[in-house]
Amino acid sequence: MTDSRIAGNVARQLNELPPGSAVSLQMSVDNYLDVMSGVIDLYAGKRDMDTIYVTATISFEAIKRVMQALEIDTSRVYFVDCISHIMMGTAAAQKDEHASLVESPTMLENVMLKVEYLLRRSQSKEKLVVIDSINSLAIHNNSWILSEFLHILVSGLRVKEARTIILSVEEHSTPEIANMVNLVCDSGIRAAKEE
Amino acid sequence: MPPRTGDRDRCVTGIDGLDTILYGGIPRDNTVLLTGSCGTGKTSLALEYLIHGAVSGENSLFISVTENSEKLLMNIIPYKFFDRELIKSGRLVFVDMPAMYERLGMTKAELSMEEIDLLVAAIGSLVKELGIRRMVMDSITSVCYKLKTPEKIRDFILKLSKTLSDLNCTSILVSEVAAQSSAYSTFGVEEAISDGIVLMANMERRGDLLRTLQVIKMRGTMHSRAKYVLDLTPVGVLLVPLLKGGSAGT
Repeated sequence: MTDSRIAGNVARQLNELPPGSAVSLQMSVDNYLDVMSGVIDLYAGKRDMDTIYVTATISFEAIKRVMQALEIDTSRVYFVDCISHIMMGTAAAQKDEHASLVESPTMLENVMLKVEYLLRRSQSKEKLVVIDSINSLAIHNNSWILSEFLHILVSGLRVKEARTIILSVEEHSTPEIANMVNLVCDSGIRAAKEE
Repeated sequence: MPPRTGDRDRCVTGIDGLDTILYGGIPRDNTVLLTGSCGTGKTSLALEYLIHGAVSGENSLFISVTENSEKLLMNIIPYKFFDRELIKSGRLVFVDMPAMYERLGMTKAELSMEEIDLLVAAIGSLVKELGIRRMVMDSITSVCYKLKTPEKIRDFILKLSKTLSDLNCTSILVSEVAAQSSAYSTFGVEEAISDGIVLMANMERRGDLLRTLQVIKMRGTMHSRAKYVLDLTPVGVLLVPLLKGGSAGT
């Protein structure tokens, strides 16, 4: 179902990052599951790291189903779901202690607040925040506010020594989005098969 | 180099974001007006201020004017740091103002100047007797409705503020304003007399309603004047800066 070489490569590169670092993870739509496996299972899972997964692409419920299908342990994954509320699908999140809803992906301050709340609640020594994805957030927000959001969020996470991964989808990316992400990230990973 | 935060002793609110905005907390013995329209989080923030005080060993008093304190406690956010033992031990005290009015025989719709003195003295005695270091009155607006005239309101707040300050009590007076009001208080007097004003509001931006907090004034310290967005959570009030890029809000 997934390409274990891509997942392995992603995890290997992430393992080299120091605490407080921010990384841009560029992928193709086709590699989405490989990236998820590499980040959540092979990287965060192996290091007993709590993961705060900000989803602006699909609902947390759908992502959780995918993770479970990939046999990824989701017990240390906490979701900040920016999409279920605008789709009027909040029932599942209300029952799930691992899900926090943000009313709309335009409420970027509330995304920061939910991340902050989950970080404070986390007992784990190492923490990871995944933004999935910058392209989806860019649909709902202009580049000025999105840039400001990334800058404040990532700077705050650095201070707390939490690691940040910003996912971007190659097919939907623009030079403006790439610049925005590069500005706040220390390094970039491109999820692709090794030549 | 002169100290950036002044040399006033601080009352650390325990609300991280607010303490950062105030460069360490509210200057001790200040009387702060916490103002905003309904649903902005004033009572929650004020309660959290008291709970943190009680947890850190400072006796704290909540004078409830508008709502019965039993009901207030039923609706309290399930704070991780709140333990009902704080109430049982007398570290955190709740007093209902209507009961106080009754005890003092203040049954008329409007208080006289003598009754204002009596009320201030009664609050002062309570603060002294219980060794209170932090006090919240929620809301001062409801008390003001019993005072009617700006002169009486001014007199009451000035005397209350002085009494509390003399007793080394750092206090928050909760003030209610109408949603679209540009004033900081209903009667226009409260804000001029207070040592500090913290404004809480609902801000609409492209159809989204954000809860915001802004420190307008605080005597005795430097402070940020920027607007912050807040969330009321079981770990307390959390604050982040309001994003400005592309904002159509005011």
